[in-house]
Amino acid sequence: MSSDPDLAKLAVDYGLRLGAEYVDARLHRNLEVGCLLKNSSPEPTILVDSNGLGVRVLYRGALAFGATNTPSAQSVKDLVEEVVKRAKASIRLVGEPILFSSEEMGSGYWSAEEKEKLEDVNVQTMLKNLRDLDNVIKDGFHGVPFTNRLLMIETSVEEKLYVNSDGAELQSRVPRVSISSFINASYNGKNYAITIPAGYSSIGESGGWEVVKRLRPETFFKEEGSNLAKAVKCERNPPSEPVDVVLGPDVVGLVAHESSGHPAEADRILGREGAQAGESYLKKNGLGIRVGSSEAYVSDDPTIPNSMGFYLYDEEGVKARKRRLIEAGVIREYLHNRATAQVFSTKSNAASRSVAYNREPIIRMANTYVEPGDYSFEELLEDIKLGVYIKSFMEWNIDDVRFNQRYVGLEAYLIERGELKEGVKAPILEITTPKFWSSLDARGKDLQFRAASCGKGDPMQGAPVWTGGPHIRLRNIRLGGR
Amino acid sequence: MAIESIATEVLCELTKLGAEDASVIVTQSFERMVRFSNNALSVTKSIKDVTVFVYVTIGKRRIMGSTFNPSQTALKAFAAKLVESCKTLEPSPEYVPLPKGPFTYPAHANYDPKIEFCEEGLMEDYVKQIIDRSNQIGGERTAGAITAEASKISIATTGGVVQSDRSTRILLNQRVFVGEASGHGLACSTHLSTFNHLDAAEEAAEYAKKAVNRGPWVEGLYDVIFSPTVAADIIQHVGDAASAFAVESGISFLSGKLNEEVACEALTLIDRGVAAGSINTRIFDDEGVFTRDNVIIDKGVLKTYLHNSSTAKRFNASTTGSAGIIDPHPWNLEVHPSGYNLDELIKEVKEGFLITNNWYTRFQNLRAGDFSTLPRDATFYIKDGRVKYSVAGLRISDNLPRQLKNISALTKERRWIYWWEVRIPTLAPYVLVRWTQVTKAVG
Repeated sequence: MSSDPDLAKLAVDYGLRLGAEYVDARLHRNLEVGCLLKNSSPEPTILVDSNGLGVRVLYRGALAFGATNTPSAQSVKDLVEEVVKRAKASIRLVGEPILFSSEEMGSGYWSAEEKEKLEDVNVQTMLKNLRDLDNVIKDGFHGVPFTNRLLMIETSVEEKLYVNSDGAELQSRVPRVSISSFINASYNGKNYAITIPAGYSSIGESGGWEVVKRLRPETFFKEEGSNLAKAVKCERNPPSEPVDVVLGPDVVGLVAHESSGHPAEADRILGREGAQAGESYLKKNGLGIRVGSSEAYVSDDPTIPNSMGFYLYDEEGVKARKRRLIEAGVIREYLHNRATAQVFSTKSNAASRSVAYNREPIIRMANTYVEPGDYSFEELLEDIKLGVYIKSFMEWNIDDVRFNQRYVGLEAYLIERGELKEGVKAPILEITTPKFWSSLDARGKDLQFRAASCGKGDPMQGAPVWTGGPHIRLRNIRLGGR
Repeated sequence: MAIESIATEVLCELTKLGAEDASVIVTQSFERMVRFSNNALSVTKSIKDVTVFVYVTIGKRRIMGSTFNPSQTALKAFAAKLVESCKTLEPSPEYVPLPKGPFTYPAHANYDPKIEFCEEGLMEDYVKQIIDRSNQIGGERTAGAITAEASKISIATTGGVVQSDRSTRILLNQRVFVGEASGHGLACSTHLSTFNHLDAAEEAAEYAKKAVNRGPWVEGLYDVIFSPTVAADIIQHVGDAASAFAVESGISFLSGKLNEEVACEALTLIDRGVAAGSINTRIFDDEGVFTRDNVIIDKGVLKTYLHNSSTAKRFNASTTGSAGIIDPHPWNLEVHPSGYNLDELIKEVKEGFLITNNWYTRFQNLRAGDFSTLPRDATFYIKDGRVKYSVAGLRISDNLPRQLKNISALTKERRWIYWWEVRIPTLAPYVLVRWTQVTKAVG
């Protein structure tokens, strides 16, 4: 950390002296580098050094957050005074006082696995990687030229020093690397703006520069580029009658995130995000209700090594662990911070995250996924007389209670008598959450993750996450088409 | 140190280190927010930031960066790092020297000290008034946020530009719930005196009340009226697509359409750096060039893309004062009004919907403009020119270029829209779009 660690302790001590019952302070730095290659020409490289102090206080049940990026002893005192003053002014409107659940507080240093430090990587090396990728895809595939290409590689190093008045004292470091792209593919006089990977996501992990070797981006972009070039040539519409549907891990991970992870966020359930990201179809008494078949298993786990959403302690000093959200089709657990845990008379499961010093910690997912089963891909297909395999997607959305959702396939194939056949154009899965999870009857044993940025909060926070899952099979689904 | 001095000192340091072109923008912002939900205040926020943005070129090599550490030592180190990194890059064929000033900048009055030095407890008072008013009308639960922001911005460039500006804005995004139904209200203003928080509260509560009794509907093609909030969400994607960067990247449905008819004749769309009440006021762009009124679509015809000096050269055009060093972009979009009022639009509809809010607009193909978006909050079914009942679970699943051509009427009334879902401030009217595809989920 480049800032003086004593400033965080000063903030906590000073807040307590001003009468707050709880104070936490977080020195939070994100060092980011982004390289872009547009149509084989480099755009300006981007360096960002975001660095400052965020402070939260609870004062007679009123919560206030403040931040400054000019941390000195005086500015920290000024900030704490401002935050306490704002908390005091809001007491009259708080209603039920906000309380934090009692938790064991963490201390010490934790970090993601890292071999080659990102700070030692030259921007020219990053650009060379993009050039190599561009060379792999620039001519397109199968007679489909990739006429426009925007390739991006981003690295970030997130360092935090966190202290609170309940005794937490933590330092951490998480480096991350991700690669993404926009491509315009031309075929038959039409243009298709697609992304590699599909679905506006990226390939990415936490770790140092060795991540790039693990990701094998050239192989990935070549395979994905080739598959997507074939996909844009498809003209056949999906069957209009109800059919069995096999979904690829990219789609499954997104569904897990959107229709299982988000509705399980306890702050949404309690209405705190009502005017922004929305609420939830799940209610406060929703634990134990059935929303899916006995094959529906969804978890969120911040502790997966190398994951984008990796952490070992959350932004409230609570130790992270895996959370099983849906178990055999039944809602098993919500995502909690200390405030919602208190309301639900439970313990926090360490879901409190903040992406920068000037953002309030709020309940977030980390790495949300459908747990793998025991089917091979061939076994998922073998008894399907007529079906559709949706491997990847582009368009998706879901309503603000996470009930009514839609995923539009990009790479998709017809399934006939247990075998993959010709490509299908843009099959649309427009379905409710219970219908989706109730139609699930088999899960593959493969498990793959994709990197994504999850948006929530006001001001907005884009949190690094993984979404993942195996191939899964849904029975008897009516698909739409454009 | 004053931000003007930071800008000139960093520029001086960069030049000393060997930078040939440089633009330094320092922004000092103070944002205060009160968030509320379930008729109670949930958190207050106070965020003070000073950010320093730097663009540097050396031998046609280009780099840019932002630092949130404005101490002199940190800034010197940041400048040195940028210059050192810049020297390792390869020259870019897209390099263009920074435009030479001085320029004459537009004037504006979009600053209100009553927002910057907001009276203690005032925002909390507003929250109480909003909750009380919503409940009086029949709201059961109210959630939302009021944000008051003041920013000072200063630029210094090797093109001879030294300029500063300041602006303010105050925003309310509010939702009122009655049972399963909800209504949405917005208030966006640069001055406290024109911040109509109670109008927004009343509209949200009225909509929520009217949306309680829901009726049936089926999928199909309908005439749809978009409220200014929904129209702004759609129009901001037109603004994105007008960026020359989007065109070059192959992700714009406006590619290759210059001087072609891309919308109905009733649609004129302007991007303005400065306008009365513009929520994102900017008098200069990131290259120091003065902002101006850019008519993107004039009576349905695409007239220009948005440019910085680099994209302008490749398009054989002039900068439009829209830099973004990498990505030229709109500042404040404005849709020209037409002669209708909302009642007249409703009377025009034989069968269709009035959609008051939406979210989650996503594209299957940005180049073709295939997209879907979800209405949220109050949505009403219209039959034979009259609002019949509220509906739920709709999805607009259509094509943006087609929708632009299917606009048949716009209202006189317009509103500034800027909230969680609309990130480019847009002055938008109610808009009637014919033959819009509406779908619903199975299950």
